[in-house]
Amino acid sequence: MRKTKMQFSLGSENIITVLLLVAGAILPFFLSTYRVSIFSYFFTSAILGLSISFIWGYTGIFSFGQAAFFGIGGYTYGILSKLFDNNALTPVALVAGVALAAAVAAILAWFMFYGGINDVFVGLITMCFTIALSTFLGQTAGSEWKIGDVSLGGFNGITKIPTLYFGSYKCDKVTFYYVTFLILAAIYIALLLLKKTKAGYSLLAIRENRTRSELFGYNVPKIQVIVFTIGGAIAGIAGVLYAAWGNYITPSNLDLSASTLVVVLVAAGGRKNPTAALIFTIAYSIIANTLSSSGSQYALVILGLILILVILFVPNGIITAAFDGIDSAWRKFTGKKTESEGGETA
Amino acid sequence: MSYLYQFCNNFSFLILSAIGLSIIFGMMGIINLAHGEFIMLGAYITTFLATAGVPLPVAILIGALGTGVFGFLIDRLIISHLYNRPLDSVVATWGISLIMCQGMRILFGSSIPGTSTPLGSFSIGDGKYSVYRILLAVIALLVVVAVYFIFMHTKIGLHARATMQNSSIASSMGVNSNKMYALTFAFGSALAGFCGGLYAPTMSITPDIGSNFMMESFVTVIVGGTNPLVGTVLSGGVLGLVRSFLEMNMGTFAGRVGLLVVAILFIRLVPKGFSGLVDNIRKKMEVKKHAKN
Amino acid sequence: MRWKKLMAASAMLIAAALTFTACGSTGANESGSSDSDTIKIAVLEDTSGDNSLVGVQKYHGAQLAIEEINESGGILGKQVEMIFSDCQSNNNVYQEMANKVILEDQVDVIMGCYTSASREAIRPIVEENNALLFYNNQYEGGVASHNVFCTGAVPEHQITTLMEGMIKEYGPKVYIIAADYNFGQISAMWVEQEIQNNGGELVGEEFIPLEVSQFSSTIANIQAAQPDVLVTLLVGTAQSSFYEQWGTSGIEGCPMASTVNIAQGYEHLRFNPPALENMYVTATYVEELDTPASNDFKDRWHAMFPDEPYIGMEAEAEYTGVYLYKAAVEKAGTTDVEAVIDALESGEISFDGPAGTVTIDGATHHAIRNVYLFKCNADHSLTLEETWEAVKPDWLSSVMGIDLRVEAPNEQYTPLD
Repeated sequence: MRKTKMQFSLGSENIITVLLLVAGAILPFFLSTYRVSIFSYFFTSAILGLSISFIWGYTGIFSFGQAAFFGIGGYTYGILSKLFDNNALTPVALVAGVALAAAVAAILAWFMFYGGINDVFVGLITMCFTIALSTFLGQTAGSEWKIGDVSLGGFNGITKIPTLYFGSYKCDKVTFYYVTFLILAAIYIALLLLKKTKAGYSLLAIRENRTRSELFGYNVPKIQVIVFTIGGAIAGIAGVLYAAWGNYITPSNLDLSASTLVVVLVAAGGRKNPTAALIFTIAYSIIANTLSSSGSQYALVILGLILILVILFVPNGIITAAFDGIDSAWRKFTGKKTESEGGETA
Repeated sequence: MSYLYQFCNNFSFLILSAIGLSIIFGMMGIINLAHGEFIMLGAYITTFLATAGVPLPVAILIGALGTGVFGFLIDRLIISHLYNRPLDSVVATWGISLIMCQGMRILFGSSIPGTSTPLGSFSIGDGKYSVYRILLAVIALLVVVAVYFIFMHTKIGLHARATMQNSSIASSMGVNSNKMYALTFAFGSALAGFCGGLYAPTMSITPDIGSNFMMESFVTVIVGGTNPLVGTVLSGGVLGLVRSFLEMNMGTFAGRVGLLVVAILFIRLVPKGFSGLVDNIRKKMEVKKHAKN
Repeated sequence: MRWKKLMAASAMLIAAALTFTACGSTGANESGSSDSDTIKIAVLEDTSGDNSLVGVQKYHGAQLAIEEINESGGILGKQVEMIFSDCQSNNNVYQEMANKVILEDQVDVIMGCYTSASREAIRPIVEENNALLFYNNQYEGGVASHNVFCTGAVPEHQITTLMEGMIKEYGPKVYIIAADYNFGQISAMWVEQEIQNNGGELVGEEFIPLEVSQFSSTIANIQAAQPDVLVTLLVGTAQSSFYEQWGTSGIEGCPMASTVNIAQGYEHLRFNPPALENMYVTATYVEELDTPASNDFKDRWHAMFPDEPYIGMEAEAEYTGVYLYKAAVEKAGTTDVEAVIDALESGEISFDGPAGTVTIDGATHHAIRNVYLFKCNADHSLTLEETWEAVKPDWLSSVMGIDLRVEAPNEQYTPLD
């Protein structure tokens, strides 16, 4: 981030961004219902990935807690939409789910950042928080764990959660696809634009050097709390959409492996670049889906191998490296010296 | 008596499962997500040897050694490329853990026959207590003492501590920090394997056995902080007390969730864990000493 | 170095892109091309991940049944095609795969699911698309769904019979330890009820989170309560460590009673004797069951899977489930889902298999099964103590008043509500 780069540069990342958005918009015309539906599921993972990219990649807050906020969003949506018993109110449940996830994130963030906790300890605390929440939810099968008529359901989770409705219109698979796609695209574009604003720079400044940012007059804990809260809200949206997609949410959505996997994927894709996080999360979902429908026992081994190779040979994340590679090749090809995109990966 | 026994149990479990992780974390800043799988490897080697007729203590030692060698190889192949990128090592070790767990399953199936817990039990009053469990607590203490000795009284330990405090200065003083890191990683792995070997006779041996240790070892390291010795021992002690109390009075669920809550609260009050606390106290003492002089 | 990185990166990208396009193209081609020359059975089981200990057995059970059926002419003269997905012990993967096999492969029936959570994960998908699911597994009972048939053991089979025998034999004081989730809590509730019915007394109860593998405090609490019978409803690989720790704790003379161990996770072969000495278990099938049908079944199984460590009751249930589906399709004369459900609800669909006669109860969509009480000896061999024939799973119909032939609420009911 050495250069100020306000103008729109024609790097490969920007081209890909446009291509991605166009592809996402026209995808349902070419795919079967199943593919459309499964892609809306992948998009919820991608939204979760973007929340990590925002708090970790932009601001340097390392969190294993996004799965917990995902779960809070999903559970809140599930409980409320079943309590309302009126499908027209599902959008209210959506907003409430996001709000509660954000509120819990805010409290946790206030607790951590005003207590001077940083770096890897944030990761470990959020990990404890996630495991505690998941263990708690796992044993809520009893009748004492009922909110109104809705049982928390313990390990089996909440089932029969209604999908999203607009008024009396029930989202079918394609509509639901577009809802998730639009939310994903909005968050994604917002993140890209944020990078070019003053507020965005202050985040990057905190990432690179907290002490110096503080000396420059930034209220670092305050900014961290705000960022973490927004990150929690984004993860909450992902959780709500997931619960509405699968009509289902369980404690295993927020267990240790769920919370680490998303961090790992964003790291492997390139954490400082939302496009990279986005592409890699979706690509991984597709590969994992293909592998498990092949029924091979080696699926998990192959996935592990991919992650190790990526991190060894492409330290900035595979997608980021690909952008850089294409850009430098293009410069060589045209012989022109355009502005470097490398700043993104610094 | 019963409380004391429970405390010994919890203490030894926390210390043994955390010490390998905390050495790697404290010295190298790497969060080893494959720690549980290293424990699993140690348990597997031990069990295979023990069922083949090798005496259990020897089998456990070979298990530890084998895991150490494996850790060394992993370090040379993968981790050594990530020394200055500790957060990226999260991805790599996660990948390693996926491969090890599923690989073991493909090689040996979902479960292998275990060995029995040796040494039987003794009784005091109404209570019956397993001798092996008491032995584990003794071994946990011995491990701590051994680690202390290695770090404080050998040349390797000196170099290791120097590297931990400031690797660039240490290397300019002639310490080969790469070598130190490799040794540390192998040593931490060996301790993980040792833990696996020790607990192998008390558990069912499956490829996912490592996940049984993960939560406890991480919590211990969080509360302990970056100093593998002081931190781990103190946090193992305190958490062991808390957990024994909760378990005896309110059941295992309270014990498990209580442990997590205590960890979160503790780290809020003492951001650097017990290591930070001890450092602060030491500094204050020194200041006082200077003031007196 | 830079060049190497670039190469690696582009190689990975290309690989990803290829998978992407592969996915897309198969998606476009396959949809709607339901091949009517074969009957498609989807099998969703865990052959990797934490639950694969049982998942692999169940997968083999389905394979064996389908191969046998194909060798003897298929169903209605059509060959059976198995579409298998490894669900990696992960509920999300279950959801993805259920969507795939229903919408894309358009299978005629789904066999599978291990945990209740995985079944609940795909039940909304099955119901929404009016598909058919055979849940061939022991569970806590209570699923009342138009589209789901549960062919495994439920508490009515196992707990009523178990507690009656144990209290009579050993005395009234009962201590329960159970896994702290739906199965454990609901089963424990059944046990409590049966303790009352048999004039017993509950002297202690502890629920243990699934991840716990160290049991010294639990054992100390049991020791203090001095029960006549210890009921263990522990689930999963972490909790199975209890038996080794219990066996070496030095406590003698207290028999254990269980509905999950031995028959499902073959703990008596995985642990060294005598850790499970004096354990009683009510099962719908164990490999040690010594009947001509069972022995014949074992021979065929071991011929196909010589390395199988054990054939448990879930494996038998999966095998039997496939045959029950065959019987239903043959009665209906078609694979049309509604016609098959009608046939299954007729009460005439049954299969004489390795575990004796298994009949589908039309009102509850559960299975009427034989129940066997086995005792585990010091050398971990099993002795058959008692047999109850054709035990009806009637909690849903007699207590909850549900008749799925008339109306299906598509809910899971629990006695906890």
